[in-house]
Amino acid sequence: MRAVFWAGAILLFALPAVAQWQGHPTPGIPRTADGKPNLSAPAPRTADGRPDLSGIWLASRAVFNLSQALKRGETISFTPEGKKVFDERRATESKDDPSARCLPTGLPMRALLRTPFKILQVPAVTVILYESRTTFRQILTDGRPLPREVDWPAWQGFSVGRWDGETFVVDSAGFNGRTWLDQAGYPATTALRLTERYRRRDFGHVDMEMTIDDPKMYTKPWTIAAELVFQADTELLEFICEENERDSSQLVGR
Amino acid sequence: MRTAAVLFAVLVLGAARGVAGHHSFAAQYDADTQVTLAGTITKVEWTNPHTYFYLDVVDDAGKVVSWAVEGGAPNVLYREGWKPTSLKAGDRVTILGARAKNGSNQVNALSVRLPDGRCVFAGTSGPDGSATSDCTVGRR
Repeated sequence: MRAVFWAGAILLFALPAVAQWQGHPTPGIPRTADGKPNLSAPAPRTADGRPDLSGIWLASRAVFNLSQALKRGETISFTPEGKKVFDERRATESKDDPSARCLPTGLPMRALLRTPFKILQVPAVTVILYESRTTFRQILTDGRPLPREVDWPAWQGFSVGRWDGETFVVDSAGFNGRTWLDQAGYPATTALRLTERYRRRDFGHVDMEMTIDDPKMYTKPWTIAAELVFQADTELLEFICEENERDSSQLVGR
Repeated sequence: MRTAAVLFAVLVLGAARGVAGHHSFAAQYDADTQVTLAGTITKVEWTNPHTYFYLDVVDDAGKVVSWAVEGGAPNVLYREGWKPTSLKAGDRVTILGARAKNGSNQVNALSVRLPDGRCVFAGTSGPDGSATSDCTVGRR
């Protein structure tokens, strides 16, 4: 269905050929004979032989409630405290979500939105530029460990990356516990350890998993899974949330 | 012109409850109270985090009522093919929207029908939401 709407939208608003920022052909990517990006071509590699995750990516399905993205066989099991927090957020229709006030969105949901993000994989660091809120994140790959103690917890935590065969594994900790994991209100605290796994299975697709381990809120870790699709011939757009934020004062809940 | 009439339609959409781009849809709008508004655009705000446009609607008593219409995030709309100039003051449109829970004259647009009858996706993330090309609301 999505393709039909894209086609409709493009026909509806198509302009004559103008110099393009959006729509400018992404150089250096594999294409089929008809010029379309060849998403099933082999995944590219960096000079050191690792898979290269660089590119603009979008989840194949937007998800605002992580329970809809659970990896097969996974379940979410709350502690009593976790259940209390989650139930309260559901009872008020997520009206107190900090993200609604332009504060940061939780990392799991930020990767599952309708807006893409760009991965830049370079030596010693992999950077994620999110179109959402025009935010960025650094995953340090210089071999340092995660900090043992964090004296200033961060909204996005601290992240280090390593390779496990063909899979890029990101470990994060040091979160300030103020973001919600998603819009449904799955909670996390300063005890959160987030583990992400990215495997570029071919040119056009990354299999992503995120494991949420927060013993204060959940009795066991749980994992979501999603597919990311390469976005060719486009660029990130700007998103400055504070520009005209008028919704938060209208959030009444039930 | 009767196209300017306001029609309140209360629809039950079942259990489906979507959520909007930067905040909970259900905290702000009642997906079960949908309003069809036919009127003239008076102002367009192509802004983050969500677009807004404003509509003057003549009600059954002949009185002009102003409505605020919240649309999708501009980056989402842009990727769907909208431009900042796609809707302009003076354009006559018909909006299907979910009404604000705070009782104000505001809706979240589920679909926008242009004067020539074409229907465009409004970029909302409302209940499963968005318009199909025939202006019915459905999953995409």
